[in-house]
Amino acid sequence: MDNIVEVKDLTRLFDPDIRAVDGITFHVERGEVFGFLGPNGAGKSTTIKILTTLLQKTAGKVTVDGIDLEEDPAAIRKIIGYASQEVSVDDDLTGRENLRLQCMFHHLHKTDSERRINEILTVTGLEEAADRRAGTYSGGMRKRLDLATAIITRPKLLFLDEPTTGLDPQNRVAMWEYIQNLNKEGATIFLTTQYMEEADRLADRLCIVDRGKIVAEGTPATLKAEIGADVVELALKENGESTVRERARGILARLPGVQETKDYDGGIMVFAKNGPSLVPEIVRSLDAANVHIAQLALSSPTLDDVFVKHTGRKLRVEEVKPMSRMPFGGRRRRRM
Amino acid sequence: MAARDFFIEVGAIFFRWLKKTFRRPAFVFFAMVQPVIWFLLFTQSFASIADIRQPTGVPGQFITFKDLTGTDSYLTFFSAAVIIQTVIASAMQAGIGMVTDIESGYMDKMRVAPIHRASILLGKVMSDGVRVLLQTIIIVVLGVILGVTFATGVGGVLIILLIAVSFGVAWSGISTFIALATRNSEATLMISLLTTFPLLFLSTAVMPKAFLPKFVQSVATYNPITYIADAIHVLIISGFDWTAVGYCFLVILGVGAISLSATTAMFRKAVAH
Repeated sequence: MDNIVEVKDLTRLFDPDIRAVDGITFHVERGEVFGFLGPNGAGKSTTIKILTTLLQKTAGKVTVDGIDLEEDPAAIRKIIGYASQEVSVDDDLTGRENLRLQCMFHHLHKTDSERRINEILTVTGLEEAADRRAGTYSGGMRKRLDLATAIITRPKLLFLDEPTTGLDPQNRVAMWEYIQNLNKEGATIFLTTQYMEEADRLADRLCIVDRGKIVAEGTPATLKAEIGADVVELALKENGESTVRERARGILARLPGVQETKDYDGGIMVFAKNGPSLVPEIVRSLDAANVHIAQLALSSPTLDDVFVKHTGRKLRVEEVKPMSRMPFGGRRRRRM
Repeated sequence: MAARDFFIEVGAIFFRWLKKTFRRPAFVFFAMVQPVIWFLLFTQSFASIADIRQPTGVPGQFITFKDLTGTDSYLTFFSAAVIIQTVIASAMQAGIGMVTDIESGYMDKMRVAPIHRASILLGKVMSDGVRVLLQTIIIVVLGVILGVTFATGVGGVLIILLIAVSFGVAWSGISTFIALATRNSEATLMISLLTTFPLLFLSTAVMPKAFLPKFVQSVATYNPITYIADAIHVLIISGFDWTAVGYCFLVILGVGAISLSATTAMFRKAVAH
């Protein structure tokens, strides 16, 4: 077993008493795509900022490629690449100049750099815009340029903090393919995401995180298999009334094949072996008890269901970008 | 080769800032137009300052502007103030760039890269120095066009440029410190504006000391700008007065030592790890 990242009991406190990361332990295997799936404020960015040497940890032990984070952060910087959640390219420089600067930071030879720059401009589809200032780019182009600056040095280990947040669906799929290709070429990838489809599609293994803690860990398949059943989601007309809800859950729990019922803020979730045949049963029995169904959906388990099972909440994806609470790299402000 | 790597890093960051500076039309505009406005506005409105006479106490005897300064041209005298004002304004911009980098996340990009932490600061400071140098050259050329004569010739001008650059670098430490402490570009700008003008007008930059009110005179004595202004004045008007030039560099050294070490400490804290 060869772990490129090992993290033990990692904790980070922010003033006054916010446990952004609360004693987490996990590892990343060399060559895999490893995902951190969780909602905003789960501690994903904080963890990534600690692993990339940007933020001090409060407690715990971290090694990256065998190097102790505390002993030699400079050595870690030589082998990692990092693309932050908020795009950080220099808008006054052209795309090419942004890339060239990154090559100089990594002390690459000039001929080698120029070859890589041309190569990566082609791959990211920025060839034509290469000699225009990054400030004139569209959002998607800036995101691609940002990623290009992170990978031009061919890092062994690449950290991507929410690589597709803010991209339209088309660009998102392109980005997924791109990340998979990087991984095929040998880079280990640590990515965070709040999209379950993204974690499901990209990650070989993942941790589901919430409020600074890891609530589940495994491959997407094993996590979903853990549920071991179909999922029926119910919303009741009398959703707000907890007595009605309780009564409904009681009725549902007695139905044959039902393994578990769970409250979440939007309704009730029923985990059951025989989903399709159970649906008429559910409708009949609730109707008989005078509980009115507003909505019903049947599905195979998703990572979202795994999240609900462990936290009692849905993985809500807010479309408005949240303010970053990091001391560095806060919300980006476009300049005049 | 560690030393070679270090030069490459500093160079990369230095040229990054130069490019950023000169690609801003606003900056180029201000660098060129602001000195012109100062020259024209002040020297036209205040030309009669050169005619001021102050009674010496002995009836019928007066001290004139020329007695005090060695020139009867307010334009010539005032060119020192234009240089100082420009240097301070330019130095105060230094911190803004640092805040912008922090706000945009570019600082993190540099911090994740395998470069020496010192390169980030040194490359920036060097670019600030070069910017001040170019701006001062513009003012000197402008002054010559308008009719300012430099008593000490090319040698004196070179010393003036050296004063401007070293003073600019020392002063940029103050704004970078404010920037790193507040991490807020508006605050940095406000504090800069609020300090520049009082310091300039409570010094001998725009008026010979004897003509200043008594309390302003005592403030001016402790104002570092006074020593910079005095040195530039003598180099333009009378000649190589090494005492004045010596005091000037001592003051710059003092300001620089304090501001740059405070900035370095603040910067270390900001990029800790």
